[in-house]
Amino acid sequence: MKRTGVFVCHCGINIAGTVDVKKVAEELAKHPGVVHSEDYVYMCSDPGQNLIEQAIKEKKLDSIVVACCSPNLHETTFRNAANRAGINSFRCEIANIREQCSWVHKDKPRATRKATKIAHSAVEKVRQNESLEPLSVPVTRRALVVGGGISGIQAALDLANSGFEVILVERSPSIGGHMIQLSETFPTLDCSQCILTPKMVEVSKHPKIKLMTYSEVQDVTGYVGNFKVKILKKPTYVDPAKCTLCDECTKVCPIVVPNEFDLGLTGRRAIYIPFPQAIPASYTLDDKNCPDISTTIACGKCADVCKPKAIDYDQKPEVIEEEVGAIIVATGFDLYEKENMAEYGFGKYPDVLDGLQFERLLSASGPTMGKILRPSDHKEPKEVVFIQCSGSRDPENHCAYCSKICCMYTAKHAMLYKHHVHDGQAYVFYIDIRSGGKGYEEFVQRTVEEDGVVYLRGKVSKIFEDKGKIVVWGMDTLTGKAIEIDADMVVLAQAMRPSKGAQELAKKFKLAMDKDGFLAEAHPKLRPVESVTSGMFLAGAAQAPKDIPEAVAQASGAAAKAVVILSQERLFHAPTVARVTNNLCTGCGMCVAVCPYDALSLKDGKAEVNEVLCEGCGTCTATCLRSAIQVKNLTQHQVAEMIEACLGG
Amino acid sequence: MAKIDTLKEEARKLLQDGKVKYIIGYGAGSNGWPAAPLFIKQPEDVDKLIWDPTCIHNLVRFLVDEKRRKGKEKPPDKRPVGIFVKGCDSRAIVVLLQEKFIERGDVYILGISCEKAGVVDDAKLAKKLAGKKVITIEVDDENRFVLTTAGGKIEVPVEELLAERCLECRANFPVIYDVLSGEKTKRAVDKPFGSVEKIESLPVEERWAFWKEQIDKCIRCYACRSACPMCYCDECVVDSIQLAVSADTTADEKAGRIKWIQRSAAPSENMIYHLVRAIHLGGRCIDCGECERVCPLDIPLRLLNKKLEKEAKELFDYEVGFDPDLPALISSFRDDDPQDFIR
Repeated sequence: MKRTGVFVCHCGINIAGTVDVKKVAEELAKHPGVVHSEDYVYMCSDPGQNLIEQAIKEKKLDSIVVACCSPNLHETTFRNAANRAGINSFRCEIANIREQCSWVHKDKPRATRKATKIAHSAVEKVRQNESLEPLSVPVTRRALVVGGGISGIQAALDLANSGFEVILVERSPSIGGHMIQLSETFPTLDCSQCILTPKMVEVSKHPKIKLMTYSEVQDVTGYVGNFKVKILKKPTYVDPAKCTLCDECTKVCPIVVPNEFDLGLTGRRAIYIPFPQAIPASYTLDDKNCPDISTTIACGKCADVCKPKAIDYDQKPEVIEEEVGAIIVATGFDLYEKENMAEYGFGKYPDVLDGLQFERLLSASGPTMGKILRPSDHKEPKEVVFIQCSGSRDPENHCAYCSKICCMYTAKHAMLYKHHVHDGQAYVFYIDIRSGGKGYEEFVQRTVEEDGVVYLRGKVSKIFEDKGKIVVWGMDTLTGKAIEIDADMVVLAQAMRPSKGAQELAKKFKLAMDKDGFLAEAHPKLRPVESVTSGMFLAGAAQAPKDIPEAVAQASGAAAKAVVILSQERLFHAPTVARVTNNLCTGCGMCVAVCPYDALSLKDGKAEVNEVLCEGCGTCTATCLRSAIQVKNLTQHQVAEMIEACLGG
Repeated sequence: MAKIDTLKEEARKLLQDGKVKYIIGYGAGSNGWPAAPLFIKQPEDVDKLIWDPTCIHNLVRFLVDEKRRKGKEKPPDKRPVGIFVKGCDSRAIVVLLQEKFIERGDVYILGISCEKAGVVDDAKLAKKLAGKKVITIEVDDENRFVLTTAGGKIEVPVEELLAERCLECRANFPVIYDVLSGEKTKRAVDKPFGSVEKIESLPVEERWAFWKEQIDKCIRCYACRSACPMCYCDECVVDSIQLAVSADTTADEKAGRIKWIQRSAAPSENMIYHLVRAIHLGGRCIDCGECERVCPLDIPLRLLNKKLEKEAKELFDYEVGFDPDLPALISSFRDDDPQDFIR
């Protein structure tokens, strides 16, 4: 004989306001096999839990149903209470009468009827629940960090300094990301390279960090605590151990291509070092641009002049397999290309720059050694127009979201421009100034008041070239006047976008993306650094546009979350996983194909479940034509009984 | 019309050399026509094989029975079974391969192309003959059916006698075979879903009335299920009473059978049976029309399956039974699959 207890929660008036909880408890008391039924104002409170524990002990209950809020919130609370009172935690079921009933209905009698049915069906379900014990697996106590920008660097350092081995993978030849390209950083105007390079050096010298640059993650399998990762190490054709950085090779290389580090403002050779402080300090022979490397006849000039014989044309791509317990994805951002901006000339005017290009002009190590000169004629621009929200906040044509950092960096650009060109004039077109942050508002005020930058509230409708000037047509919406400026240079604060390739990466890692392509966090408020995939965490601008302090903070948060996993001996996994009924399985393999967690395989013509990988999502159950695979504690039989209870039959 | 002399020779050789267990083909029907399935084990019986437009059956269903039989043989005879297939039937083999129900080595496929014709609709033919006994049915060079009866020859344009599914056919020659007879020429199909479109054009009340009347007729003899090469589940949702019991079936499993559908031939239960069957055949039915042919109550079952075939084509550009390496429709997902149903 089953002995089930039912506990109906008022949740203050959250439930009791719309559902007659006393009546629900009374009705459930009549359900055959229910030997205890009561209501209480807050079941999740300590007295509420005590009530449950007492009833289990006194009435010798073998299963309980708590009719309350969503199982997402308090399932664990009540399962633990059941466990403390001596019954298996999987003999406790939640009937969600808040989110699925009281919150969405107004009519009290009908809501009460529905709540009663939900509770009845939960009683039918819990009757057939098996007692299960959590599965446990050992943890691989190493981490993988993908992306070597400031977020990835910070996360890797925090993890390594907590004592865990870290593999830091970066697809370009050096770590540093976009931050290493910046000139000075708002609001304190620290030199970006000066504050980042010490961290880069620390990464390269850290005994716990295995740095893999010019490498990409090819494949991720496994699960939290036990990921298997394949990393493709692309050939650089240069042995960093032998290279003395003499720079003789670049002098003889005949191939010149646009320099990515200077965003095309300068050129580089096919063999190059991205920037002088690159980590690892070594040259890379870019085989996409060196025309001869793919054939047997290399031009060989670089190898000829290389005295330490560091160049090796025979290097091949290598796939390295690593095992890790946690993964942090910090793949950063790219700018929305100005080629997309029809109204701003599709990027065809050389003196219309994007924010990152202007950073390079401002940088002391940039192509102009910190002098602000026009790319077209190398003259100092006397009138510069900065356009904010270029591509941002424009749901019709470009990106709907606010890129968050442009108000601040545009203020910085205008200020630094004035510091360089004292007699120049800077204009900023803006929609709003969003300067929330420590010292940010004061910084913008300083730009306006001390440096005399003219802020014009309005959008620019069009820019075009005329007689060596860039004519800017805009609107000052505060005075209602149309504005025309003959500028020498225009700087577009382009929107931030997830970095190129982020989408393919998300697929490989089985990460979700939001509508704009940024990686989705598990919960926008309460789990902002966790991804939807257990054991994978997010850091930096890959998740949403953010500035350096925020990216660093999130990276440290992600590292701390990873440590929560890595510091355990074993991890526990919910046992509500799929189970195959062998004599019904025909081995068609459809479940194997649909399983989003790679938890199924075919063995001897039958499906087999890897219980540790299985998340109990039930996709296999829905696909199987023969009901040969079912999730424990959510079997077809249980569902049938639940339907019957709901129908009142 | 394709000749099967070469196939007969191949069949004779296969049997003589013991390369196949037996061969499933078509032989003369007991009443002259239509042709009937023929199982031959002896090389000398090969001459009994025939090929004409009355070879309506989809013989692939017998592979399902063969698999069951083989499971009981001790030791199992692992030689392949030779089977004659038309274009449509060959697609059923592709689906069975896709679903790993059989392996390619389990069958030796003797393919026949329907070329420009197809098979007859037995009801239409009976009407045309009006009681006369037919001796042979052939397709002539001008693409007409030539019916030879005791009273002389009758010539009929193919469209007049062809089975409905042949008019909507997408594979008039086998897509998979070991030996083939006949030409691999595609034929133009004007309206692959003509019959479905016709019923789709009706107002919803009329459609409901139509199906209600049709489904009400069902006596639940399950002939449709028995003839279908895709209905090979050991346990069917409609009669979980005969749960596939094996040594490792637990008492709980036996007790845990669910009666999703009542066994009585009540209209609502009939409706659920046919709808569940149609959905289980979504992305699997190759339109051989056997279900409809064997139905003693003439329920137009093909239409249900054809509707899902149309959905699969329109929504997912999926055509059943052409590529054994393709994942099954319900187990495949693409990022660009339509999802406007999610609001």
